[in-house]
Parts: sequence; structure tokens; C-alpha cells
Amino acid sequence: MTELLSYAIPGIPFGCVFALMAIGLVLTYTTSGVFNLAFGAQAFVSGLAFVSLIADGWPRWAAAVLAIVVLGPAVGLALDRLLFRRVRTASPVVKLVPSLGLLIALPQLALIIAGSVPTIAPPALFLNAQHVYLHVDGVPVSGLELSIMLATAVVVAALLLLARLTPFGLRMRAVVESPRLVELSGINASRVGATAWVISSCFAGLAGVLLAPLYSQIDPQNYTVLLVWGIAAAVIARFESVPLALIGSLALGVGQQVLAGYLPPGVIASGLRPSLPFLVLLVFLPFGRRNRIEDPLAGCDPPPSTLVEDARRYRPASTLAVDGGRATQVVGVWHRALRAGSSESLAARALRRPTSVVAWTLAGLAVLSALTWVSADWLLTMTQGLAFGTVFVSLTLLTGMSGQISLCQAAFAGVGGFAAGQLATQMGWPVLVAGVAGGAAAALLGVIVALPTLRLAGLPLALATLAFALLADNVLFPVSWLGDGASGVRIPRPSVGPVRFTASRPFFLLALVLLAVSAGVVKRIGDGTTGRYLAAMRGSETAASSVGIDVHRLRIGVFAISAGIAGVGGALYGSLQGSLVPNDFNYQVSLVLLVVAAIVGLGSIGGAVVAGLVYTALQRAVATLPSRYAGLVAVLFGLATLSYTRHPEGIVDFLGGRFTELWGRLLAATRQAPRAGGAGVPGPGAEPEPAHGTVRP
Amino acid sequence: MSLVTARGISKAFGGIDALVNLDLDVEAGEAVGIAGPNGAGKTTLFNCLLGLVEPDAGTVELDGRRIDRLPTWRRSRLGIGRTFQRLALFEGMTVAEHLLVAEQARRGGISFVRDLVERSEPRPSELERVDATLELLGLTDLADRPVEGLSLGHARLVELGRALMGPPRLLMLDEPSSGLDAAETARLAAILTDLRHRSGTAIVLVEHDLQLVEAVVDRLYVLDFGQLLAVGTVRDVLADERVRQAYLGTDR
Repeated sequence: MTELLSYAIPGIPFGCVFALMAIGLVLTYTTSGVFNLAFGAQAFVSGLAFVSLIADGWPRWAAAVLAIVVLGPAVGLALDRLLFRRVRTASPVVKLVPSLGLLIALPQLALIIAGSVPTIAPPALFLNAQHVYLHVDGVPVSGLELSIMLATAVVVAALLLLARLTPFGLRMRAVVESPRLVELSGINASRVGATAWVISSCFAGLAGVLLAPLYSQIDPQNYTVLLVWGIAAAVIARFESVPLALIGSLALGVGQQVLAGYLPPGVIASGLRPSLPFLVLLVFLPFGRRNRIEDPLAGCDPPPSTLVEDARRYRPASTLAVDGGRATQVVGVWHRALRAGSSESLAARALRRPTSVVAWTLAGLAVLSALTWVSADWLLTMTQGLAFGTVFVSLTLLTGMSGQISLCQAAFAGVGGFAAGQLATQMGWPVLVAGVAGGAAAALLGVIVALPTLRLAGLPLALATLAFALLADNVLFPVSWLGDGASGVRIPRPSVGPVRFTASRPFFLLALVLLAVSAGVVKRIGDGTTGRYLAAMRGSETAASSVGIDVHRLRIGVFAISAGIAGVGGALYGSLQGSLVPNDFNYQVSLVLLVVAAIVGLGSIGGAVVAGLVYTALQRAVATLPSRYAGLVAVLFGLATLSYTRHPEGIVDFLGGRFTELWGRLLAATRQAPRAGGAGVPGPGAEPEPAHGTVRP
Repeated sequence: MSLVTARGISKAFGGIDALVNLDLDVEAGEAVGIAGPNGAGKTTLFNCLLGLVEPDAGTVELDGRRIDRLPTWRRSRLGIGRTFQRLALFEGMTVAEHLLVAEQARRGGISFVRDLVERSEPRPSELERVDATLELLGLTDLADRPVEGLSLGHARLVELGRALMGPPRLLMLDEPSSGLDAAETARLAAILTDLRHRSGTAIVLVEHDLQLVEAVVDRLYVLDFGQLLAVGTVRDVLADERVRQAYLGTDR
């Protein structure tokens, strides 16, 4: 008993900190619909501020007030105003990407501002950390542990009282049910939402300050782990129950310490504890909010703002008069006109031609440069870009076309690379064959991920794939027959008969061919019948299955193909580098991949290729900048999420659309200059009323 | 033999009984209305028939064949089409694509390989059927518009068109007239009547608009709190005292 308690009691403080994080997540999710993964980063910011201020000689209470009550909410409120308020009614991808971007960018920004990580051991919030205040059944409870438990108990009790007993609590609970109904009752729902946001930011800040002394030094890594545990607890709470979040967190905190105490050391033990959140997610995710009552106003006219807003956002170029006043939709529609030969589609194609000519010319010039004058290290960067472009193409298929959010794409790439390396070096397979086999292994893994997640969509699916990425990091990559831990796996460069791809320029060509093949596969699927099924599934799985689409089979297939392509990309990257280590494709890479893909452009293959180049160019910039400013790249990332909320179609499609639109205006101006007013560009709101009702059968 | 025979369908959500031991029969080519106050279980009945919600108890037969263990997409391919009360359109797709995707899904399976090997253009016969349905619904001019910009009335017609591809033997419509003006509703009634006479499609109509119900429906089921209150011809059912009290109010 005493042994069990001696493991369990140190787990309680961890459980408390997880609880603060989970409650913050639940609170903002229920009131604003945004699952704010950036809370992990906000917790770090507050924790860093607390420790830095104390290192500078501030008294503990002043540092605590500034970090938790001032800085925490200030950051939260700023993020809400600048970013999250805009994406509340948007699609799950659009909601998720800014918070992921901030999760990566905020800690780096904070580190740049702080200058350096303070080297002092972080103190407890109050009480003497080392002093033992009481014993429970012979197990000592230190001031550190006691302070965390007391602080958590006080704020959680305060929150529950606020929610149950005050008018504000009532409003907050009403907003959870239906923001629109609340607005109709004369209450400013977005102000209620903002207040909830402030409260939950305080919780994140407190979690950050409390977590700091549990480790010897403050480190962003620990805060990402904290976030993952918080997510698991939020899932146990079905994203909606504060008391359940508390209970679940305590169970997780105690459970992981007890596991660590009793399990024998080894790969499984060291892998099992970090993957506990994964197991929790898989077990509990299917139970989330299934029988929730819908917003009673959701079916009323006007329709929820999502559709309208997205229509506005996704179609920047509206209608353009090109030929004799006939309106042609430039972006989004023309290429999906069912008959390729129709006059509208021909006119629109003519309109698009300069854009594609420019794009292909740029691509051709880049390839020519790479093959002739580009220096060796830039050629390496470009080749890496092609390898990652392949991974990004797999995301275009899975997330862009099919609407399935994947936060484990790097795990697929890693498994493909490791399998290829093992087959090539251990079994002596030809490298190209081994690479294809690596892709097949990744595809198999894709099926394994798809099967248990078939019933999940949107945020729960994203979290399940994230959990899977963590599992791959902790269990799959360290085993000797796959990733082989930190030492990694060697992957030679391939040769086919007399043709050797060991030199950098031939390898560049090989990478180009593999990327082109992957892109071709994705484009073929997207353009065909299956592409329409995928688009239908993205739009509404319920409606898709009601018109006869086997959505489950479609999902398994698309996960397999996407994972396979990512696996080939991983093998390609490994072969280029000569070897692959688990950190090349850990879960953080998965997060970054999705954010970069979304910002640059998930909707098109061109976007994926550019994303690959951008990703490796950024990595190069990180490597060459002086270490203090390496974080600037991450900050840039945060800024890019700002632009993303305005243009969710991605930079590449946005620029392409703008270019086409400009060209169209130019054409319209030159052709129809004599007819004043004939070349008007009606906005989406001013579309002519269609002649509905005049055609009678 | 009936086209659809549902027996003893029950479904509870938590403590709320959405459907209690409900029987439903629809003959081939018949139009059946389902009425009842909000929350009476009408949409749940649709969901149970199509397999979007698994009933706690009960059986569903289509043409004498048990379908209650089949997944939704299979039931759809056997000839059940439906529309949704809350619109469930495919964002980003055009009006014509909505119809085409339904036409292709009801008639053929998924094959990634086939798409990779041959360039899969829609067949002329498929396009013809899409055009015919667009024409029937008066959506021809909107064919290449993305659905996001449509008015609610047009969006409902797109849902109807999508349900009509295949074509279905049983058409389930969930409040198709909400959001439509009087003229559009009259037109919808004409379309539905025409459809029955020409193709013998059976229709189950959940609807509050009594004019539409009277124009289209042969028999009317009235539900209240998941239980069958009355069934019969529209005239008889509307004269029923219990129905008046539960649903229509007593002043009618």
C-alpha cells in the first residue's frame, strides 16, 4: 500500500497540472468552438516569464501575478482578437491550423524576447518546495506537491462556483448551447466567449507556472508533453465536462507514475508511458459528443455563417465578363464544368492559360538551374524540397481533397524510410525496390490508422492521428528492426544497372521523377470519379453515404494511398541524406507539415510542391542563422497563420487566382472598352437572379 | 407486397424516446406523409430506415428483403434516396456535380485503380440523366454554380435532385418546402406528383405544409413523442380529434 502510495502521490501534482490544461481546452472549445492547441505554448510563455522574473530578482508573488493574471490573459485575448475569432465558424482544418502554428511559433518568440533560458531551478508558486509539510500513510508530501494541489483545488472550485452560481456562468453555459439564441436574447455572445477565453488563458498560465518546478529546468518540450496529456484528459471529458476533465487528469497523472513505478525498464516500458495518452484517445474518442443536441437554430434561415463565409473566402475572384458579356466563374468552378468542350470552360481555360504558362515556366527554369549552375548545397536543399514535396502531395490527397486531417503524415514518411533502409541494408534489396516496399509498408500502416478511426472526423480524427504519431515516436521508431533509436538507419543511394544516382544531379532527376509520379497519381485520382467521391466525403460523410458512396472503403483507400506516397517521400529523403534518424520524422514534424501545407496551399499539387521547397528552405535558414535568431523562422510561421485565416485556400492558390483575375480584367478592359459598363465585375452578392421558375415541364 | 415494411422500430436517445414500436408500410408508387410536432421522431425514422442511426429494436424490409443490417450506402444503392432537413450539401461542388456524383455512386463502385489506369470522364448516358433532372427541377441555368452561393430554396432543390439520381424506388423527403415560397412549393408539388405518375417512385414526405401534404400524399401518419397517433387518408386523419389536439391545435 505504501509502495503504491509512494508512486501515486507524486502523480497527483502532474494530474493537477494536466487538469488545468484540460479545463482550459474544454472551456474555450465549448464557448467558441476552437480547440486551442496553442494553450501548450501559452503555458510555456507564462512559465518562462515566471522563472525569468524570479531569476531577475522579482519577489515570487509579483512574478506569479504578472505571469498568470496579466501575461496569460493578455496573450490569450490578443490571439482571440487577431486569429481565433475569425475562424470560429470555419471548417475543422481552418480552425486547427492557426492554433498549431502558434503552438510552434509562440515558444520561440518568447525565447527570443527572454534572451536565454534561466538556469535557476524553478521555484514553487508558494510554500517551500523541498520542505515536507505532512505525511500520508508514511509517504512524504513536499511543499511543491502541496502548493500545486492547493492552487488547483482553489481555481477549479472557483470556476465551478462561477459557472453554477453567477449570472455570467449562466450566460456562459447558454453560449455553449447556442451562441445565436443567446445573441437573440440580447446578450453579446462574443463578449461572453472572450471572457471564457481570458479565464482559460489564466488556467493555461497557471498550469505553466505550476509545471515549471516539476522539472529541473524550463524547457518547451515539457510543455508540449503537458499539452498532449491535457488533450487526453479533454477527450475523457468528451470536450465538454469540467469535472470529468479534472477526474480524468488526476487518473492520468497518477496512472502514469504508477505505471512508471511498476513496469520493468525497457523499450516497452519507456514507450508505454508516453503512449498512454494515445491509448486513452483511442479508447475515449469514439464516445465524444455523439448524442449532443444540435444548435436549435442550425437549420433555420439564414443558414449558419460557415457556408457563406467559406464561399466568400474560398472564391476570391468572382465573376468576370470575358466574351460578349457572358460571365465566367474564374476560380473553382470552370475546371469542374462537366463538359470540357463547353464554351464557358473553353473561355475560362483561355483565361487561366497565362497563369499556368507562368507557373510552368518558373518550374522549368528552376529545374534547368538545378541541373546547370546551382551550387551543391542549394541543389541539396532543392532535392530535399522535392522529397518533402512528395510528402506534401500525400497531404494534398488526404487533407486537401478528402478533408481528412492527418497529424501523423511524418510518421508514415518515417516508417517508409526506415523500412526501405532496413530492407536495403539488412536484406540487400536494391534500393529502388526497397523504397517501393517502404511505401507499401507505410500504406499498410495507413490502413491500420484508418481502421480504428473510421467513425471519427474533424477534430477527433486530428487528435487520433496525433496520438498515433506519438505512438510511432515512442514505440515504432525506437525498436531495433525499424527506426533503431537514436542511431538511425542507413539508406544508400540507388543505382539501376549502369545508371547510378549517387551524384547529386542524377539524384535530383530521380527525385523529380518520383515527385512527378506521385503528383500524377494524386491528380488522376482527384480528376476522376473517385475525386468526386472524395469531394463528396469532404463535404458531408452522411450525405455521401446516403447517395451510395461506401465512405469507409473510400477512407481506407485514401489513407493507404496517401500513406504510401508519404512513405516513398520518406525513403527518398533518407536516401538523399544517406541515413534517417527518428527525429527527422517525429510528431512535431507532422504538425509542421500540416501547417506549412495549409498555409502554402493544400488545395493543389502546385501548392504541395512549393510547400516542399518552402519547408526545406526554412530549415536551411534555421541552420544558417545565429542560434538566438533561429527562432525568427518560427515567428514568421506565426505571422503566416495570420494571413492564413484570411486566405485559407493557401498562398499559391491565392496568388494564382489573383493573377488570373488581373489577366481577366485586362482582357475585359481591352475587348469591351467601347461598351461602357459592359465589363462589370459583379460580386457574389450581386449575382443575377437565375431564371428559376420560368422553365416549366 | 409492400415496398417498405418497417416493424417495431424503437429508438431512445438517453432518456428521450424518439420512436416507440413504430410500424410503417409504403406500397410501391404510393406517397405517404409523416406529420407530427417537432421532436415527434420523424427525422429519426428516416435515419433508422436508411441506417444513419441504428434503431434499438425493429426490422426494415425493402421488397421483402431485410435491409436493417446493411450499411447506409448499400441501402441507398438498393434504391432509397433522401433529402435532409438540415442541408447536407457537398461544399465546393457545383450543382451538376452533386447530381453526377449521386448518379455514379448509385450505379458503380469505388475503384482507385480504374481511375489511375483510364481517364474517367463521365459517360454520355450519365450526363444525359443529370441534364434531364436539372431540367425537371428548373436548375439548368445553375448547373455549373458552386452550391455555396445558392438560395435556400435552390439548395433544397439540389438535394432533391441528388436524391432523384439513380433513380430511387423510394424517395424520402425531410421538410422539402421549408425555405420555399408559395410558388416554389406549388412547383415542388407538381414535380412530385409528376414523378409518381411517370416513374412510379414511392414517396415518404415529412412536412409541415399541409397544402403540400394534401396535394401529394395518399396516406398520412401522425406521430407524437415517437408514437403513432393516427394513420389514414389525409382528410380522415386531419379530422381526428386526438391529432387536432396534439398537433394542429383545437381552433381549427
